[in-house]
Amino acid sequence: MTGATVRIAIAGSGCVLPSGWGVQRFWSAASEARSGIAVLQSKVFHSERVAAFGHVSDEDHQTSRQDVAQNLQRYCPPAVIWGVSAVRQALAEAGLEPGNDSLRYGLYCCQGGYTHPSLAAYGELLHECRDESGADMRRLAQRVLQERALDPFLVLKSLSNGLLGIVSLALKLECECNAYMQGVAGNLAALREACAALQSGRVDAAIVVGAGSELDPLALAALAEAGVISTNGSQTLRAFDRQGTGGIAGEGAAALILRRVDDLPDGPQTCLSALFAHPRLGSLNLPDKQVDLLVSSASGDPQKDADLARTLARAGAAHITSSVPVTGILSGAPSLVDLILARNALLAQRVPPIIGLQQPVDPHLPFVLGEGRDAVLRDCLIINRDDNGFSACYQLDYQSTD
Amino acid sequence: MSATRIVITGMGAVTGFGFEWQTLWEKMLGAEHCVRLWQPDGVEDGTFPVRYAAAVDMSLLPEALQDHPAWTFALEKRSRFGWVAATQAVNDSGLAPEQLRDAAVLCASGAPQHMLADMLLTQAPDGRAPGWQHLMPRAGEVNADGSLRQGNDRLARVIADGLGCEGPVINISSACAGASQAIGNAFQMIRRGEVSVAIAGGADSVLNLDTMAALYLLGAASSEQRWGVDLCRPFDRDRSGLIAGEGGGFVVLESLEHALARGATPYAEVLGFGSSLDAYKVTAPQPEGRGAALAMQAALDDAGLRAQQIDLINAHGTSTPLNDVAETLAIKSVFAEHKHYRSLAVSANKSQFGHLIAAAGAPECMVTALACLNDLVTPTVNLHELDEQCDLDYCAGQAVSRRVDFALSNSFGFGGLNTSLALGKYREHTQ
Repeated sequence: MTGATVRIAIAGSGCVLPSGWGVQRFWSAASEARSGIAVLQSKVFHSERVAAFGHVSDEDHQTSRQDVAQNLQRYCPPAVIWGVSAVRQALAEAGLEPGNDSLRYGLYCCQGGYTHPSLAAYGELLHECRDESGADMRRLAQRVLQERALDPFLVLKSLSNGLLGIVSLALKLECECNAYMQGVAGNLAALREACAALQSGRVDAAIVVGAGSELDPLALAALAEAGVISTNGSQTLRAFDRQGTGGIAGEGAAALILRRVDDLPDGPQTCLSALFAHPRLGSLNLPDKQVDLLVSSASGDPQKDADLARTLARAGAAHITSSVPVTGILSGAPSLVDLILARNALLAQRVPPIIGLQQPVDPHLPFVLGEGRDAVLRDCLIINRDDNGFSACYQLDYQSTD
Repeated sequence: MSATRIVITGMGAVTGFGFEWQTLWEKMLGAEHCVRLWQPDGVEDGTFPVRYAAAVDMSLLPEALQDHPAWTFALEKRSRFGWVAATQAVNDSGLAPEQLRDAAVLCASGAPQHMLADMLLTQAPDGRAPGWQHLMPRAGEVNADGSLRQGNDRLARVIADGLGCEGPVINISSACAGASQAIGNAFQMIRRGEVSVAIAGGADSVLNLDTMAALYLLGAASSEQRWGVDLCRPFDRDRSGLIAGEGGGFVVLESLEHALARGATPYAEVLGFGSSLDAYKVTAPQPEGRGAALAMQAALDDAGLRAQQIDLINAHGTSTPLNDVAETLAIKSVFAEHKHYRSLAVSANKSQFGHLIAAAGAPECMVTALACLNDLVTPTVNLHELDEQCDLDYCAGQAVSRRVDFALSNSFGFGGLNTSLALGKYREHTQ
């Protein structure tokens, strides 16, 4: 976006997160310092070392299902259903109805990771087809093929572009599209392509959606092995805190509708004015001028957060907050969720606190402790760091009608 | 159209034909294919209904590549192919390591392929019902080179780290259109001035029991026996489904300015990229090819080309009953003016090296670039009796020598995603 003259605004947003269904629930949770992280619960596995998770509730999942036609749900792992629901929320806020308006749309998706839904079914099959020397593959093949014991739709559910396909089917979108899979980097790529399509004039409205869940024993085991999540039974994620005990994974979906500012009616706008990225956090470009608010990802690991804090110090922000203690560490929509938080902060002129923060890793930085506070906010920087080291920076500016 | 021109300066392909794009091109011009008998591991008695595939033949691995770290790194099979292909593309381009520092890596890799040994870990040692809980205590036994241990962006990161690329690293997930989207996105990034060099492509292998069984049960994979190894026959009356291949393909894209400054010779120019969605069904194309037509038209518009300028369509051409008719109808609708579709050469590479799924678009883009470079069109092999609804010139049976100034390369995917790349013969000056 650097050098681009066409201003891009967030015209709508939606989410299904551990904090609840919808942006209002997310913003309330963040403002009131209510974490969506809870005791880890799963029907298929149990872990004592990984004790907490940012779950999307069953109730919110059922609410989201209302947004996806029955005949499509068989193709959908839960995160895809949340993604469709988030997109519908965002479109509603933006006042858009694809198919009933004359706008040209673009759809840019990011999934958090592969799902492995066929493994459980496969495990049962293997159990039935085991002999003394191991698995009887011929018998297994016969079971799979003759009795259709392996549901082919289970494989389709693990399609990495399932979110893209289902959103397009649910909304009858025949438009330009892209699909990515890679946390912060995927979010950045989707946002970058969406902005470029708007700025070039190819599309009039860009739908950017991310969704994912790490509620899978192997995904969690991999995150634990990589040091991304805590394995000490911790129940809380303490961001930027010297007493932090590590990360906690979460799940959910978020969506944004981007439009050209000039195409929107007069009124306050939150404009996405810059995107930067670099594989190394220390080399990440930051805007020259100081910003009023900084929203940052966090790991919950004191050493990693102290490293991150050194980069945050370069931004010279008046206030620093984080959404991670609200949702857990998200795989599919980390940057989109932070953009939603930042947008709401700018619109409300209020800074939510960092939940649970007591002893900041850097006492000189303006982390928001305790309760939220009112503040004059004209711009916000969002800094995201992935567990693979990839880092991104976004700038959001508030343009009032004054 | 932008003033920035983007060219292909390096190519690498690992397919059933071998480990170099030169071999691929030579064999394809010779109207060969690399479909062979194939059976899943452990089911070697001929009872598995899918009997043929275009597998990578490791006996063809040249000595020069035997020491490549891909063969010893903890990687899925597809990622090994991809890393080798990407390395070859960079070597082919002549780019020095310091010239790669700011390069972007855009990589498509398909859905993960589970290893049977890993899945057996879900079995209880005492005969109780299987489940995840049995696997967790044995997590240390999960194969390091299996999908369960591999992050979804593993290949992209390995390529970036291995080649010293510090630019954007982007993992594409667009099913069978993945590599095409990776190349299209790379093209767009260079055109916008975000990077000067990009390595883009993909890698995939679905040659295992569970994925091939799923493709069979969905009606996508052919179980036909009567044609033997010649059963991949796009646009033929007797086509019966896709024939899976495996491998990887990567191209090096550069701004022309960057390429010329270092003395590189482009293979071809990338001129445009288009994408669309069918919004029809998850597993079937829109019957009239509406989405495919939208993608081709978008690529033409993006390239600033008129339909009449196109000489060649490198078709998605899966050999499935639904795709080939829908794609034909799409081509006829986009090139309807003056019945230009009658003048087009249409070629289906999958008849020669199978369907590389997420990677398919990369070698097909290379073949399209080589067609522009050499004015040679590779054939659609095994095409003997045209389907009555498939009535274009598909270059059946043998390569065709004809002028190729501009071409489209189509890739469509499950989920109703369509992409099309517009390529052109490289000329020093634009017309």
